[in-house]
Amino acid sequence: MLEQFMMGLGVVMQPSVLVYALAGVVIGQLIGVLPGIGAITAISLLLPITFHLDATSSIILLAGIYYGSQYGGSIASILLNLPGTPSSVVTCLEGYPMAQKGRAGLALFIAAFSSFIGGMIGVALVVAAAIPMASIALRFGAAEYAMLVVLGLIAASLIGTGSQLRSLAMVLVGIALGLVGADTTTGFYRFVGMPELAEGISLVSLAMGLFGVSEIIRSVNSEAPRQTRIAVSMRDILPTRAEFREITGPILRGAGIGSFFGALPGTGAAIASFMAYAVEKRVSRTPGRFGTGHLPGIAAPESSNNAAAQTSFIPTLTLGVPGDAVMALMIGALVLNGVIPGPRLMIDQPTLFWGVIASFFIGNLILLLINIPLIRLWVLLLRIPYRKLYPVIIIMICVGVYSHRTSVVDVVLTLGFGILGYLLKNVRFEPAPILLGFVLGPLFEENFRRAMLLNGGDFTVFATRPISGTLLACTVALLVYSLASGLAARRRARRAAPPS
Amino acid sequence: MLKTLFAALPLALALSLPAAAQSPYPDHTIRIVHGFAAGGNADTVSRIIADALSQDLGQAVIVEARPGAGGTVASGYVAQQEADGYTLQLLVGGHPVAAALYNSLPFDSLDDFTFISTVGQFPFFVGAQHGRFASIQEVIDAARANPRSIRIGHAGVGSTQHLTGELLGLETGVQFLHVPYQGGAAATTALMGGEIDLVIDAGTVILGQADAGVFDALAVTSGERWDDRPDVPTLAETVAPGFDVLSWTGIGAPAGLPADIAETLNAAVNRALQDEGVRERILALGASPVGSTGEEFRAMVERQIATWTRVIDAAEIERR
Repeated sequence: MLEQFMMGLGVVMQPSVLVYALAGVVIGQLIGVLPGIGAITAISLLLPITFHLDATSSIILLAGIYYGSQYGGSIASILLNLPGTPSSVVTCLEGYPMAQKGRAGLALFIAAFSSFIGGMIGVALVVAAAIPMASIALRFGAAEYAMLVVLGLIAASLIGTGSQLRSLAMVLVGIALGLVGADTTTGFYRFVGMPELAEGISLVSLAMGLFGVSEIIRSVNSEAPRQTRIAVSMRDILPTRAEFREITGPILRGAGIGSFFGALPGTGAAIASFMAYAVEKRVSRTPGRFGTGHLPGIAAPESSNNAAAQTSFIPTLTLGVPGDAVMALMIGALVLNGVIPGPRLMIDQPTLFWGVIASFFIGNLILLLINIPLIRLWVLLLRIPYRKLYPVIIIMICVGVYSHRTSVVDVVLTLGFGILGYLLKNVRFEPAPILLGFVLGPLFEENFRRAMLLNGGDFTVFATRPISGTLLACTVALLVYSLASGLAARRRARRAAPPS
Repeated sequence: MLKTLFAALPLALALSLPAAAQSPYPDHTIRIVHGFAAGGNADTVSRIIADALSQDLGQAVIVEARPGAGGTVASGYVAQQEADGYTLQLLVGGHPVAAALYNSLPFDSLDDFTFISTVGQFPFFVGAQHGRFASIQEVIDAARANPRSIRIGHAGVGSTQHLTGELLGLETGVQFLHVPYQGGAAATTALMGGEIDLVIDAGTVILGQADAGVFDALAVTSGERWDDRPDVPTLAETVAPGFDVLSWTGIGAPAGLPADIAETLNAAVNRALQDEGVRERILALGASPVGSTGEEFRAMVERQIATWTRVIDAAEIERR
C-alpha cells in the first residue's frame, strides 16, 4: 500500500502535475471564502478545461477545488458569521463569538490546523482502508440510513445554545422547510408554489440567509461600536499548550465521524460537521461553554468536514459510483477523458488512482502553508468599518446564491430567511437546528419510505437487519440514558434544596 | 498621444455601429440554456457543443444552467426569449416526457420551440448483479411467477428511466416493483448493495460496472443492438417485440427562429458532430453523435410524447 502511495507521490511531484494540485487548492480556497459560490459551480465551470488535460491532472485539479473549499469555508464563518459553504455553518457557532472577543486569529488557526489534521486522517484512511470502507458503505440500505438519521437527530437534539425544547422546535421548522419540492417516493409536488421550487429550497440559500443575512441586519441595527483592538501578533494567533490539549480529542473524534459520513454515499461534509459538533457537546464536561467561543466546537466540525471531503472519494474511486453532486462531476471528468470509472480503476489505472490520492496529501500540506500566513491578513479585514463592508457582503451573497442555480427566487428567499433568522434570534431561537432538520428530515423520509416500499410495509425490518438493529438499539439506549440522567439530576436538585 | 486616442474612441465606435447592425449572424455572444444541474450530463453536452459552436461561428458561446422541475423551468424560460438565434437550449429526452407528465406547462412542448438538430442518441441498458440472472428472459419469468418480486431501481419518479421500466412491464405483461432513488448513481449503489434487482440506466452508469464484472448488462432498450456492445441483446429480440427506447440530446431555440439562422445553426451543429474531438467526447458519454434535420428532430419529439403519454396513462402515474 505504502509503496503504491510513494509511486503516486512520484506522479504528483512532477512539476507539470504539481501545478494543477496547486491551482486546484488555491481556487478552492478562494471560492470557499466567497459566500454561496460553491465547489460545484467552480468545478463545472472548469470542466471544459479538462478536455485539454489528461485524466490524472484533471481530477487532481478538480479534487483540489473541492477539498480546498472546505478550508476556505470557515474563514467567513469565523470573521463575519457568514458560512462560505454549508459544511462550515457549524463553525459559525463558536468561531464568530471568538472573533467578537477579539480572538479571530486563534479561531482561524484552530480551524486551519484542525482542517489539516482531519484532512490528513481522511487521506490516510483512503490509502489504508478504501476497499473495506466501501464495502461497509454498500451494506447501508434504506433501513440503515433511516435509523442512522434517527440516531443522529436524537444525538444532535442538543445543538444550539438555548433550551432543548426550543432547539427541537427549530428542528421541526427545518424538517417542514425540507418538505418543499418534489417528493422522491411519489414524485408529488409538495408546497411548490412556483416551478423554481420544484427541487426544493436550496441549502445554500437557507444557510446564507439564516446566518449571513440575519447577522448583517443585526449588526447594522446595533449601536455598539465594533471592538477596535484586533490582535494580529503571532502570539495571539497560536494556541497555548493547554489549548492544544483541549482540541486534540475533538479533532480526532471529528475526523472519525467525518471519515464515516464522507464514505457513505448520500451523506457528506455538512452532516458530518453537524454530528461532530453535537458529539462534542454530548461528551463535554462543560457543555455550557458551547456557544461562547469554545475551541472544541471549532476543532471538531472543521476536522470532520475535511475528513469527509477526502473519504467521499472512496465510493467514487473504488466503486465508480458518486456519493454526491461533486463526485458526479469527478466521474464526468474521468469519463470525458476516456477513463471508465469502476472497481477496476485501481488495477487498470494505478498511476491515476494513486496519483490522485497522493495529491490529496500534497494539497492538504499546501493548504496549511497557505492558510497560516494568511490569518493575519484575514483578521485585518475586521478593521474595515462595518458600514463599508456590509454592502459588499450582501452583493457577494446575492451573486453566490444566484450562481448556484441561476435562480432569482433563491436570492429573494435568502433575503427572506435572513429576516426570519433575525426575528428568531430576537426571541432567542437558534437557527442552527433548522439546518439540521432541513438536511436530515428529507433523508429520513426518503429512506424510511423506501424501506417500507421494499419490505411491503413491514416495520420489523428496522430491528431485524443487523446494522439497522444496532443503530436502533443505540438510539433507544441514548434516549433511556438521557431521560434517566435527567430524572436523577432533578431528584438531586430536589434533595439539595429542601421544600420551604 | 493617449489623450488623442481616447478622444477618437467615441467617434470610432459611432462609425462602427452601422456596420455592426448589418453584420451577419452571429455578431455577439450566444448562450445555450439547459435545465439541469451544473456538471450533469446535459451540462457536459452543452459545454462540448458550446466549445465547438464557438470555434465554428467565431463568437463566444456560453452555457447557462437553469435547473428545476425536470428541465421545465429552462424550457419555460427559453420559450419566452427572443427568437434571434442568441438564446439556444439543450433539449433532452426528458422534454417529451415532461410534455406527457405535467398537467399544466406554461409552454407548448412542440409549438413553442424551433428544433434545430439532435446531438446524440443513447439507449438504456438493463443491469443486474453479476450472475444473478442468466438472461433477461429469466428476469421476466421470475416476475411473471411472482408479481412485484423483481425490484427495479430508477433515477426518479417520471424520469425516462422510470418510464422505460414501466413500458417494459406493459409490453411483457408482468408486474415489477419500481423503486425510486435520487438519480441513477444512487440506484446503482443500491444495486451493488443488493437492495434491488435491476437498474435501467444509461451506458455510462451500467457498462463500467459490467466491464469490471460487477454487473451483467442483460439487455439494451434500443430497437437494434448497440454498435458499442454488439453482444448485448435487445429487449425487442428477446422479451418485448418492437421495444425501442432511445434517449437523446439536441439543440433547440424559441419558436419562430428565422429560417436562415436555423440553417446556419443546423449546419454548424452537424459540422461539429463530424469533428473527431467532439465525437469522442460524446461517445465517452455513452451516446452516439447523431445529427438530424429540424423536421426529423421535431417528428421524433412528437412520437415520443405519444409513447410516454400512453405509458403514464397505463401505469397510472400521477400527473403533476
